[in-house]
Amino acid sequence: MDESRRERFEEIAPGLMEPVRRFLARRTDPETAEDVLAETLLVCWRRVEEVPDLPLPWVYAVARNCLHNAERAARRQDRVAARLMAQPDDPGPPDDQALHEALAALRPEEAELVRLWAWEQLTPAEIAVVLGISPNAASTRLTRAKKKLSDLLRKSAARAGHEESREGRRS
Amino acid sequence: MNDDELLHRLQASDPASSLPPADPDRAARLLEDVMSTELTTENRETGTHDRSPLTWLVAAAAAVIIAGAGIFAVMNLNDDSATPTAIDTPAASDPTVTELSAPDAAAYAAKCMVPNPEVLAEQTVAFDATVTSIDGTLVTLTPTTWYAGDPTDLVEVQAPSAEMQQLLSAVSFEQGGRYLVSATDGRVTLCGFSAAYSDDLASMYAQAFAG
Repeated sequence: MDESRRERFEEIAPGLMEPVRRFLARRTDPETAEDVLAETLLVCWRRVEEVPDLPLPWVYAVARNCLHNAERAARRQDRVAARLMAQPDDPGPPDDQALHEALAALRPEEAELVRLWAWEQLTPAEIAVVLGISPNAASTRLTRAKKKLSDLLRKSAARAGHEESREGRRS
Repeated sequence: MNDDELLHRLQASDPASSLPPADPDRAARLLEDVMSTELTTENRETGTHDRSPLTWLVAAAAAVIIAGAGIFAVMNLNDDSATPTAIDTPAASDPTVTELSAPDAAAYAAKCMVPNPEVLAEQTVAFDATVTSIDGTLVTLTPTTWYAGDPTDLVEVQAPSAEMQQLLSAVSFEQGGRYLVSATDGRVTLCGFSAAYSDDLASMYAQAFAG
């Protein structure tokens, strides 16, 4: 039984590593990302029998839970303060301040839907697995979130006028 | 802005776009470490989900060291008078208290094994707490997290004066300090299983009592 476990894990894990690393890099600081990657792989190893044939959405869901746990623990340990102070040193995302602000203005669930769609490039059915909601709900909520994000971006572009277009090109 | 434009703009801001691929050696080592993790906590999957990061690393390190481990003295100590008691008082205003005692004198002289999640997981009481008072024979702690045992508002560790001195120096309890403490049969475990809070020890606690 141990051998088949190992075989299965060795079959799926190498393909999961990079996507999960990227998933975490998009959502937390490098140190936490590294910790949570290890934690996520450990959960996959423990629960290898449960990993579905299309593992990624399931594994993203695991990574998401592990990340939440890590962040809860970090809040308890005041590591958040240290992380916030460390942030200015981070290279950060490419310079699209308007997009950054628009994403931040979405509700957290909406922003996560949009990120899973654009960055992890998941289908609504896959997003549904990650978030533990029905495919229909994922689909309608994603549509709504995308529209809301577009509206926010349009408004901020209109507000900023020329200034925005100049800033938008800087990078 | 249509879907494609939105997608394009989002992808241009993908924070992971500049992430270099993982070093293959490191990645392989990580997978190896994960697969060498003991799966002893598997049957408790549904319990707490409060695992800390990097527990696998601690577990892997401990698994190597444990092969040469010595006696874990505290485990075979038992004493009827020292059963842990979680007193649930019905009066809401009275704080609940878990009473513990110091290990007996032999424990301090015994050889220790390196703290490891496997042995830690066998402890019946484990918590993360701050020492709120120390007087001659009584240390009072206020727990913030319970890893094992019935949660209570306070924990009192009682011991005769001489034993208390030994306990204080073994665990170096200090007023206001934060500690990770575990106990079996109502007696605090030593050998580094109960000690001042550290991230490493916290990881081990989380690992040992992980869901």
